[in-house]
Amino acid sequence: MIMSKHAFLTSSGVEAQMLEFWIEQQWLIPTQTDAELSFSDTDVARAHLIRDLKGVFGINDEGVDVILHLVDQLHGLRRALATLNPSLSSSP
Amino acid sequence: MKNPYDVLGVASTASSTDIQKAYRKLAKTLHPDLNPGDKAAEEKFKEAAGAYDLLSDGEKRKRFDAGEIDASGTERPQHHFYRDFATSDDGHPYTDNTGFADFMDSDDAFAELLKRSQRARADRRGEDLHYRLPIEFVESITGANKRLALPDGGTLDVKIPPGLIDGQVLRLKGKGAPGAGKGGPGDALIEVEVLADSRFTRDGDDILLELPISLSEAVLGGRIRVPTPVGDVTMSVPKGSNTGTTLRLKGKGAPRRGRARGDELVKLKIVLPKSPDPELNAFVSNWIKGKEFNPREGSSS
Repeated sequence: MIMSKHAFLTSSGVEAQMLEFWIEQQWLIPTQTDAELSFSDTDVARAHLIRDLKGVFGINDEGVDVILHLVDQLHGLRRALATLNPSLSSSP
Repeated sequence: MKNPYDVLGVASTASSTDIQKAYRKLAKTLHPDLNPGDKAAEEKFKEAAGAYDLLSDGEKRKRFDAGEIDASGTERPQHHFYRDFATSDDGHPYTDNTGFADFMDSDDAFAELLKRSQRARADRRGEDLHYRLPIEFVESITGANKRLALPDGGTLDVKIPPGLIDGQVLRLKGKGAPGAGKGGPGDALIEVEVLADSRFTRDGDDILLELPISLSEAVLGGRIRVPTPVGDVTMSVPKGSNTGTTLRLKGKGAPRRGRARGDELVKLKIVLPKSPDPELNAFVSNWIKGKEFNPREGSSS
């Protein structure tokens, strides 16, 4: 689902000022359409993760930066593995 | 509902710092986004988060210790974790392949597999979209240009070829969902439903039509107008035609590629005037031969 900035702030519970910083850091990359930013469900879920990292784990901004980079690599690998799986099991 | 102290593995006398430490330790191994391969992590994480919500709030903890509230109702509202989207196929800006880029530089079979899977994802053909389109029987014979309204508000122009059969699927190349990279869009697949017609039915390439005629047309013959899907034509009814007599209109059936058109088969049906006519009554009463004729003769009934 694609949502406006307002809807995103409501469903993610993120404050507007924080969101600006997150976008600046490229922790979140919303889609720019016309003069508006639009957000996906993926962005909301990612915002929850960032909030957990900062809240639950008490990680500072530098730490969040490193963790997100590693998490993205981890998911890149998982995706590559998932697509490899069928070709591996079909090879002798 | 489990005791929140047990969930976090702390004593009921633990300080708030100890509780936070214990929760962070658990969350590290249970947070679904940091442990995407652990399917059971989500439930356990929710449980731990619920326990922490209760015990980290001094007021709630006091009331729980005093037995005023129990551990239920501390469940967090459902939310989707990032891992549910992170490996999805529809592409998002966070994908990062640097974690295995070096593997792809070599020449071995594994590198080849990785490269192929990445290309396949990058150049994914769009999905085929399925639609249904009802058309009139006459349109299925003559062909037509139809406009299909799409669920997303767009339209699709569909050319119905002459002679189309009910249930036939038309493929519109490139009118499906957009693809990724060099994948190109999918196709639109349109299943055409030919609506029943009150006059015509189809039998292979032939078209069947039941045509009412009057008694005098049947007895004396004559020229009558006959509807066909491509317009009315004139046909001569031979003298002495009967109900069930079938006349063939050559080439007025369905067109078929590489073959001659089918025919229209006109089955006659004699219809008497609605209100009884005294003259006809008088004639039939005095018509001896007509009374002697038994059309059921020789049949089993």
